[in-house]
Amino acid sequence: MAETEIALDIQNLKKYFGGIKAVDGCTFQVPKGQISGLIGPNGSGKTTTFNLLTGVLDADSGEVLYNGENIVGLKPYEVFNRGISRTFQITRIYREMTVFENMLSASSMKMPVREARERAEQLMEFVTLTKLRGEYGGNLSYGQQKLLEFARALMTDPELILLDEPAAGVNRTLLNNLLDHIHHLQEDQGKTILIVEHDMNVIMNHCEKVFVLDYGVKIAEGLPEDIQKNEDVIEAYFGHR
Amino acid sequence: MQERAEIRSKYWLALFLVAAYTVPFAVGIYTENVFFDLQWLADLTTVILNGIMQGGVYAMFAVGLTLIFGVMRIINVAHGELVMLGAYLTWMFFFYVGIDPLLALFITLPIAFCIGLLIQKLLLNAVVGGPELTPLLITFGLGLTIIHIVEAIFTTDYRTIPYAPDALQLTETIAVSKSKIISFVMAAFISLSVFFFLKVHRIGKAIRATAQNADVAMVCGINIFHIYMITSGLAAALAVAGGALVSIQFGFNPETGVLYTLQAFAIIVLGGRGHYIGALIGGVMLAVIESLISFMIPNGTAMVEIASYGMMVFVLLIRPRGLMGPKEN
Ligand SMILES: Nc1ncnc2c1ncn2[C@@H]1O[C@H](COP(=O)(O)OP(=O)(O)O)[C@@H](O)[C@H]1O
Ligand SMILES: [Mg+2]
Repeated sequence: MAETEIALDIQNLKKYFGGIKAVDGCTFQVPKGQISGLIGPNGSGKTTTFNLLTGVLDADSGEVLYNGENIVGLKPYEVFNRGISRTFQITRIYREMTVFENMLSASSMKMPVREARERAEQLMEFVTLTKLRGEYGGNLSYGQQKLLEFARALMTDPELILLDEPAAGVNRTLLNNLLDHIHHLQEDQGKTILIVEHDMNVIMNHCEKVFVLDYGVKIAEGLPEDIQKNEDVIEAYFGHR
Repeated sequence: MQERAEIRSKYWLALFLVAAYTVPFAVGIYTENVFFDLQWLADLTTVILNGIMQGGVYAMFAVGLTLIFGVMRIINVAHGELVMLGAYLTWMFFFYVGIDPLLALFITLPIAFCIGLLIQKLLLNAVVGGPELTPLLITFGLGLTIIHIVEAIFTTDYRTIPYAPDALQLTETIAVSKSKIISFVMAAFISLSVFFFLKVHRIGKAIRATAQNADVAMVCGINIFHIYMITSGLAAALAVAGGALVSIQFGFNPETGVLYTLQAFAIIVLGGRGHYIGALIGGVMLAVIESLISFMIPNGTAMVEIASYGMMVFVLLIRPRGLMGPKEN
C-alpha cells in the first residue's frame, strides 16, 4: 500500500480533569481522504479527544498538526474556519431557531448570502430535511436533530469531519442514510472523516482504519478485522470493567 | 404542574399591572385631584401622551441594556453613565461646534459604537461566561470612573440644551411639546432599525445565535468575541442616542446617569430580561404609570421612583421572566 497522506497528526495529547486522566498522552495519525474510526469503552476519552481537536477544550499539553499548523489552543471558531467541522454526541443545535436558520448559522461571513442559502437548500435535500425547513430545532426528533447537525457541519464544505456517535439514537433507515452520505463525502469529494461510534457494525463495515482508546491512551490501531482479534482490545472491552 | 404555575404567574402579573394603573386614579379621587370634566380629560390625555413619548426614549436605551444581558448575561450598571455621556457629547457639539442635537447623532453614534467596542474588548471580553460578579463589579467601577471624569471636566452643575421648546397643539386643549415628539419619533426609528438589523442582517442573526447558545455559535464558526464587541457597540450607541434625546428635554449633570441605569433595569425586568420587544413595551408602560402618578398623586414626583423600583421588585417576585422574557431560571 502506498504511503497515505496524513490529515491530522496527533502528538502526545493530554487532558486531565482534576485526578481523572481523560486523555493521557494520545498519539495517532488520521489518514487523509479516508473514513477512520475511534473506539473504546465508555469513558475512555473519545469525546474529550474530539473536544481537544476542535478547541472546545484546551489541552494540557500535546500537539495536533493540521496542514502543518498546530491547532491546539485555537478557539472552536478558528478550528472550524480552518476546515474542521464536527457533530456532538449530544446534539448541539439551536432549539429556538428553524432548521433553515440553523443551517445558515454555520455559513462563514465571507460566503455570499445567496450562496449560503443555496448550499443550505442542497444540504437539507441531501439529508431529507427540506420538508422540515421551517420547524424549530427543538421540535425535531433526536434522529432528525442528528441529521441537521450533520448537514450543518457540512455548510462550509470542511475538509475534515468529526462525528461523535452518529448512530446513537438514530433509527436504522436514518442511519443507513447517514452512512450513505458519509461514503459519498469520502468517495466523491475526498473528505476525511473520523467517527466515534459504539455500534461495532458501523465501525467494522465502514471504516478503513480504527484507533482504540482505553483510559485515555491509544492501545491499538489497524484494520477493523485485525482490531477485532486484538487481545488488548478484547481485554479493554470485556476484561477489566 | 409547572404549566399551571406559569399561567398563574401570568395572571398575577396582569392583576398587578391593572392595580398599578388603577392606584393613581384611586388616590387621585380620594385626594380630590380627579375631576370628571372635559378639561381634566384633556389633561389626562396629554399626560398619557407625554408618558408614551417619554417611554419610547427610555425603552430605547433600556433595549441596549437588555441586549447586553441577553447576549452575554452581563449586568451592565454603567449603562446609564453612557446615557449621561451621550447628553454631554450632544451638549458639547451644540455649544462648542453649533451642531443641531439630532444631526449630532451622526457623529455621536459612531463614537458611541467605538466606545462600546473598546469597553467590551478591554474590560469585558476576558470575563464573559465567568462568575457573574466580576463583570458586574467591572461595570460598576467603570460607571463611577465615567462619573468622576465628567465631573472633573464639567463640574456637577446642571446643563440644559434649549431645543424646540414650543408645543404642538393637537386639539384646542391637548398639546404635546415638540421636543418630546421629535425624541419619540427618533427613538422609535432607532429602536426599530436595530430590531430589524437583529432580525434580518446576518451579523444580527449571529448576535441572536450567540445569545441563544454561545457554545453552539462557536462550533458553527462564529467568533463570539467579535459578536460581543458589536453587541456592546450597539448597546452603547442606543444609550448615547438616549442621552441625546433626553438632553433636549431635561437638565442633566454627571450623576443623572445613575437614575437612567435604574430606570432601564426596572424596564427590562418588567419587559423580560433579554427580550427586545419586551423592553420596548416595558419602557412605555412604565413611563405611562409614572406620568399618571405624578399627575394625580400629590407630591407625585417622590412617588414616581418608589413606583418604578417597587414595580421591579414585585415583578421579580411574581414573575421573574416579566412580560415576555424566556423561561429558564
Ligand atoms: N468536563 C469534564 N469534567 C470532568 N470530567 C470529565 C469531563 N468530560 C469528561 N470527563 C471524564 O473524562 C473521562 C473521559 O470521558 P469522555 O471523553 O466523555 O469518554 P468517552 O467519550 O470515550 O465515553 C470520563 O471519565 C469522564 O467522566
Ligand atoms: Mg463520548
